[in-house]
Amino acid sequence: MRIAIQNKGRLSELSIAFLRSSGLSFQPNGRSLITRCDNEDVEILYLRSADIPEYVRRGVADFGIVGRNVLEEKEIDLPILRSLDFGQCRLVIAVPQKSSIQSIQDLEGERIATSYPNTLSCYLKKQGVSASIIPLRGSVEAAPALDLADAICDLVQTGKTLKDNGLTPLVTVLESEAVLITNLHRIKTEPLLRCMRVSGCGADCGFTPSSNYYFNL
Amino acid sequence: MTQIITPKILKGTRDFLPKDMAKRQYVMEKIRSTFIRFGYDTIETPVIEYAETLLGKYGDEGSKLVYQFKDNGGRQIALRYDQTVPFARLVAANYQALPMPFKRYQISRVWRADRPAKGRYREFYQCDIDIIGTESLLADAEIAKVIFSVFKTLGFTDFTIKFNSRRLMNRILESVGVPASRTADVIRLIDKLDKIGKKSVARELECILSKEIVQKLLKIITASGANREKIASLKKEDSQEIREFFKLCLDFGISEKNLLFDLSLARGLDYYTGVSYEVVLNDVAIGSVAGGGRYGDLCGLFCEKKFSGAGVAFGFDRIVFAMEELGLLSEIPLSSQVLVTYFDESVLPNSLAIFAELQEFGFNAEIYPEAISLSKQFKYADKKEIPFVVICGSDEIQKEAVTIKSMKTGKQKTVPRNQLTEYLKGLSF
Repeated sequence: MRIAIQNKGRLSELSIAFLRSSGLSFQPNGRSLITRCDNEDVEILYLRSADIPEYVRRGVADFGIVGRNVLEEKEIDLPILRSLDFGQCRLVIAVPQKSSIQSIQDLEGERIATSYPNTLSCYLKKQGVSASIIPLRGSVEAAPALDLADAICDLVQTGKTLKDNGLTPLVTVLESEAVLITNLHRIKTEPLLRCMRVSGCGADCGFTPSSNYYFNL
Repeated sequence: MTQIITPKILKGTRDFLPKDMAKRQYVMEKIRSTFIRFGYDTIETPVIEYAETLLGKYGDEGSKLVYQFKDNGGRQIALRYDQTVPFARLVAANYQALPMPFKRYQISRVWRADRPAKGRYREFYQCDIDIIGTESLLADAEIAKVIFSVFKTLGFTDFTIKFNSRRLMNRILESVGVPASRTADVIRLIDKLDKIGKKSVARELECILSKEIVQKLLKIITASGANREKIASLKKEDSQEIREFFKLCLDFGISEKNLLFDLSLARGLDYYTGVSYEVVLNDVAIGSVAGGGRYGDLCGLFCEKKFSGAGVAFGFDRIVFAMEELGLLSEIPLSSQVLVTYFDESVLPNSLAIFAELQEFGFNAEIYPEAISLSKQFKYADKKEIPFVVICGSDEIQKEAVTIKSMKTGKQKTVPRNQLTEYLKGLSF
């Protein structure tokens, strides 16, 4: 069984702590991107956040821990087993402090820079607003000051980065947190899922976990 | 003074203006792209054929409806009446050059000298696919899957693919004691079940069959229940074909809710030799929107070699009508996406440069050909449903900027000149 988690970033340490608290014992990853657990037949894969849904979808990993924001943006429809209690953040649309944009409707025809173009596009369509989306990989906060955009759409944890760049939140597009995902790969994970839902499941499910069950589902 | 000719068209024919054409082409393209996704290639046959090629192929009634005329050289000519007979002729003449089994799609116009009525025209489109050169039931099921995919792709959800089998019908008629000589008449009456009801059909059947036979027959063919139950209620040796066909359909991924095994489906059974299908829309009362089936010998009249095949024809006009009814064609855009304006000769080179850039970046753009007032150019954009108008006067040129007006909201936005194409692209993200 393989579990994919974030290699470097916001969720990385928290994911490791979560797996350890679930009863898995493993060495810190160091340079290796695959770590085998000492006490279970489980491998931990350390991947880029945005790649985790792909690994899980293709059945290379059976489970993944990933931000809800990543899942939404990738538009990959994978079963979410549960929300985990960490990595909370919001995807917000923010505008310069003195902007004439005061409401969602004011965004009509304006330029919005974001690393989450799909999520934003979907949100704007639901709101019936048509704005020009400027897709950027990162540092979107700088776009309004450089006249590349009139607003931004980005992840916010504390709001400090926004403030430092003279931006103020207008509306929340998505509340995000870390979630545990799996795939529909029938043969491999259906028995697993059953195991994970029922403690001490029988041998007929094709998989016998040595501990009661993982992840306290 | 020159004589003015009344601008009229023939009865049963139609002109289509751009808005209608945009919708029709959208639908046709969706259908075509679905055919292509299943690996069908297309062919083309002439609009005019030797009359002898077409006559006598459509029954007595059909032959009367074939458009005929003598050409300038005195030859007897007929207009294409359907796509199947010319296809059979083409296969008979070319089968050695064709891959077998041969799958082809064909979307073209046909002509029928029929009495025009609501939804019935003398010139209309047919959309056909056929697989010939195989007797495998997998081909029959593939046709059903194409039907399913076409209606799904077009946005329909509540449609039913009814299916039945001529072979099965023969078995049933035989088993209840219908004499072979009466088979065709009985099938013709069964076909009326939908229109005139069970009682009337029974009465008419009783004119040619005994009461007992009629009751036995009607009991079998009007049985209700789930597909599986209906199939299970038949004798095993009778139902093998339909059972296998149904299983293949499910294995192909056709949702069961869109399939209906209908033993009373008799349309076309005089022509089809195996499985046949007909599609109805449950939310638009317009009759059948597609029909087809298995035929034993396609080219029999044109060559000695036998080609068995399965195919379906989609009723293009009815499908377009139904999509209009269901609001599936409410947002089909016309060609032009951006109108570049200009209002005096000095800014024309700049406007032309903008126009060229927009086209290069993939936008359907046009420039208004006269330097008239902006409001008149807006009116043009409005009437042509062009969503965006680009304005770049001397003010904008000086500021290296450009203004984009959204015709839908009326809002104008000025952006740096070199962000224009990205701005427009971002709007359609």
